[in-house]
Amino acid sequence: MIEREKLSNPKAATKTLFYMVLILFSFFMIIPFLWMISTSLKLNQYVLSIPPRLIPEKITITNYLRLTEIFPMTRIVFNSLFVAVTMTTGQVFVSSMAAYAFARMKFRGKSAIFLLYLATLMIPFQVIITPLFILMRYLRWTNTYQALIFPGIFNAFGTFLLRQFLLPLPRDLEESAFLDGANHFMVYWRIILPLAKPALATLAVLAYMEAWNSFLWPLMVIRDTGRMTLPVGLATLHGRYLTEWNLVMAGAVITVVPMIIVFLLAQKYFVKGIAQSGLKQ
Amino acid sequence: MKTRKMVLLLVLPLLLFPFYLGAAGQREKGKEGEAKAAEIVFFNFSAAPVAGHQEDMKKLVDIFEEQNRGIDVKLETAPFSEYFTKLQTLIAGGLAPDVFELNYENFVNYASKGVLLDMSSLADSDSTFTSDIFYPRAYNAFNYKGMQLGLPESFSTVVLFYNKDLFDQAGVGYPKEDWTWEEAIVAAKKITNREKGIWGLNSGIQFWEFYKKVAQNGGSLFNEEKTEVTIDAPENVEALEMMVSLVKEHGVMPSEAERGGVPDEELFKSGKLAMYVSGIWMFDVFKALPFSWDIQVEPGMKRKATHFFANAVSIFAATRHRDAAWKWARFLTSSPEMAKIRIETGWELPALTNKEYLKGYLEKSPPQNRDVVFKSLEYAIVPPVIERQNEMQDIINQAIEHVSLGKLSPKEALAQADAKVEKLLK
Repeated sequence: MIEREKLSNPKAATKTLFYMVLILFSFFMIIPFLWMISTSLKLNQYVLSIPPRLIPEKITITNYLRLTEIFPMTRIVFNSLFVAVTMTTGQVFVSSMAAYAFARMKFRGKSAIFLLYLATLMIPFQVIITPLFILMRYLRWTNTYQALIFPGIFNAFGTFLLRQFLLPLPRDLEESAFLDGANHFMVYWRIILPLAKPALATLAVLAYMEAWNSFLWPLMVIRDTGRMTLPVGLATLHGRYLTEWNLVMAGAVITVVPMIIVFLLAQKYFVKGIAQSGLKQ
Repeated sequence: MKTRKMVLLLVLPLLLFPFYLGAAGQREKGKEGEAKAAEIVFFNFSAAPVAGHQEDMKKLVDIFEEQNRGIDVKLETAPFSEYFTKLQTLIAGGLAPDVFELNYENFVNYASKGVLLDMSSLADSDSTFTSDIFYPRAYNAFNYKGMQLGLPESFSTVVLFYNKDLFDQAGVGYPKEDWTWEEAIVAAKKITNREKGIWGLNSGIQFWEFYKKVAQNGGSLFNEEKTEVTIDAPENVEALEMMVSLVKEHGVMPSEAERGGVPDEELFKSGKLAMYVSGIWMFDVFKALPFSWDIQVEPGMKRKATHFFANAVSIFAATRHRDAAWKWARFLTSSPEMAKIRIETGWELPALTNKEYLKGYLEKSPPQNRDVVFKSLEYAIVPPVIERQNEMQDIINQAIEHVSLGKLSPKEALAQADAKVEKLLK
């Protein structure tokens, strides 16, 4: 009887329906991930077997072992982590300083400079890749970590995001600090940055994702296997005529796992960030 | 105080920056100064780690450096799919590799832009070199307007794979070297068994197969100078009609819907496909199949024509190490050591005519009939290449798709494609 009452309750019924739809959709979303993990544990001859099996007949970790033979895997994972972390830190730092200047300081030509800076967002990366490469050559930076990290640090999007966050903060905050003799850097460091924490976290998550997944630039500028990042390494697993999907998937698992960890840790900021920036990448 | 320290900490590395730049610059200079040896960079896609030939390429470099003291070969590898984007950037960015690999289609593109060194004079002045050692088809493929802009490094041919067991069960004789598609269709009809899901034949319906079948029927997509489009010539229409008839009229080949996304090689592997056309790189994949299989030269129409995939080794036109680059290119394409390693490891085949090298290869089985690999090379044709290659391929693929969907007749579709491609030439 109780059961029936519950079901007849229209609110509960819509809720149940709602959750059923959600579960169905989450199932669709998660299938590729499960498939990736499953394939990474299969031997090559079972990868495309018919009928397809989600749970492999024979579970094997040889794919992961082979990956470590094919490349210096620890080195590549380290490279990816190192580049992503430095680039993120650098980008958050530089963007927040620039945002401070654009949002809180008064100087001549501010809006013109800001407009120009924003305009760089409109230029697709493919267009600047060759000039950037030539620039790196003049700096003698090709095939170095600097080349991987520096171009990503100066980022108009990050500056824009933080500026929008800093603009509406009340002026009184910093004015009292100035009266007490603080300079701009102190105000930036002691007052504005702590207030901007949620926005900084958002930017950090977005920047980290971008750095981690970045492919074209590392591919162009790195020539040694020892300095490759994960996505570049992953690409070399595709053969000209044939691709061993089990290997590719094992590589993909290694690439995706750190992202999932970051996502789980920073889920709160991540959702907020997307809501705040109004962007979905 | 605390803030000041922080500032210092952050600014200090920036202040040191110029020193760092200087140091990096000097280091590089120092390197050049002390190395009297010529260091040549060899950019390639064929030593990609996945195929397991990374080590084989390193072995070749070791042997070469042993034989040529004073030359250092630095290997740089990119996956095939990204290789040409990177090569383009390296050349545009002024860091072009000294020696690099090109496949045929891209060779034409680079050759016409003048970034490749004409090796003719280097070849002439090298008394130990003669071009007779190469298969003429492969060697001449890399001759562009009388300039030898590449040496053939390796090749793969495309052949007809067939499942012997399916032929035996249907009581049909195995494919013969002189077969035409008509004979193949007759055999395929006897083998096809829709109830059991067994198909007689598969041959892709797309641009690559189309230009080949056009050549088999004695036609071509352009005139020789590539100034006129002949896509809608009657021979070509006939070729396309034959291609689609496999599915529609004869029902020996599964349609897209009937195959449900299963790729050809999987159909063949599961014993559901009697004949199919593919590259010799499948030998390794089919090594341990539970049925017996062999290969034959692909059937033709009025004449035979087969695909071959050739890689060339080219030298950058402005390299500072011409002689070293030539020595490496020559070694990589024609040395016995290279031939031995390629054959032993099942890498792509060297384009050399000397049968001595191939003994080990010909004796291996399956497939038994390995002569076919080389016989097919006699009929090899090169793809039509124009400046706006991708657009041309898209247009033709679209036309072919319209025909296989039954929207247009082969004649109509090719006439439309002809008109569109004509505009690309201007």
